[in-house]
Amino acid sequence: MDAMSLPDADAVIARARLGDPVALEALYRAYSTPVYNLSRRICRTTEDAEDILQETFFEVCRSIRNYRGDGSIWGWIRSVASSKALMRLRRNKYRDTDELHDEIAPARGASNALRMDLETAMARLSDTARAVVWLHDVEGYTHEEIAGQMGKTVSFSKSQLARAHSRLRTWLGEEALA
Amino acid sequence: MSTHLEMAQLVALRDDDRSEPGMAAALDHFGSCIHCQSELERLHQRTARLRALPSLAPATDEFPAVRARITVERKRRSRGAASIGLAIAATALFAIITRDIVHPKRLDAEQVLQSEMSQSQRLEQALHQWHSDQRVIDGHTAVVVIQLERKIAQLDAQLAASVSGESAAPIESQIKLWRERVGLMNALVEVQVTKTSNVGL
Repeated sequence: MDAMSLPDADAVIARARLGDPVALEALYRAYSTPVYNLSRRICRTTEDAEDILQETFFEVCRSIRNYRGDGSIWGWIRSVASSKALMRLRRNKYRDTDELHDEIAPARGASNALRMDLETAMARLSDTARAVVWLHDVEGYTHEEIAGQMGKTVSFSKSQLARAHSRLRTWLGEEALA
Repeated sequence: MSTHLEMAQLVALRDDDRSEPGMAAALDHFGSCIHCQSELERLHQRTARLRALPSLAPATDEFPAVRARITVERKRRSRGAASIGLAIAATALFAIITRDIVHPKRLDAEQVLQSEMSQSQRLEQALHQWHSDQRVIDGHTAVVVIQLERKIAQLDAQLAASVSGESAAPIESQIKLWRERVGLMNALVEVQVTKTSNVGL
């Protein structure tokens, strides 16, 4: 998503920076779906995603004066949203269920009837692995950026991504194709 | 390299990341291994499928909740700013009372000063009662309001310095500053009352 989805983006942003509530609402209307989508893809529940959506736009309304316009407005809003989503993951401390998933996942060479669809497989990844896959492969964040947001190393981000793809490959039944 | 590439190497190949250890040998192997070439293709396809997942939209409109939280925060900030204004006025008043005891002849000037301070406070209250934080303004007016508020904040800093301790400014200078403040407050009230409309935010 870019400024094309927000007609007269520069003027709207300028008014939003001055606290104009109509402009702030226009920002919400333009970017609430991509923010929700990112949140929902990273977190497990709709409730968490809705909370992150609200938190993100509350932060956007409070801090838009600090947006200097040196990147796209969507890039800035997305960084707020991903930060809130990762904070939520840390706060919830969801049970990391990778090992359990390994046990219930189809064994090598198992019937294709046991294959999961991609959304189910993503949902079965650990929170951290799922967040890394989404942020890197879909949102386009670098490992350096992900590591910075997670407070981890670049190696950690890379290994999470590789490990996640190995699991997805298995769960999607792609090993049988090799 | 005789064994097939590991997933980390395949991902590094996909992302053109040459920093992964053993990439030179991995590239050699990849060039002649149909299995690894197929794995990389599957990785590309999986990534494309991830990017093609449908966009999920929120079932509820969260903006009313966001708006309510902004309103609460703005009111809280407004109360904080009013407290600072009152504190400055109280400090100034204390300084005047103290000087009355030391310099009784300056009474006329100090009456003028008190009059300016009272006028400033009345305007402050009028602005507060107008609930300017709940009204919408156009972009041009917002710029004017921000400029006026900045000037008032600068004056407040000067006023705070003018009544502090041994470096207190002469009373004539204080009167001048308070008059400036009254003028700016008048302008701010006029802009807020004539150029805004209530939208409940």
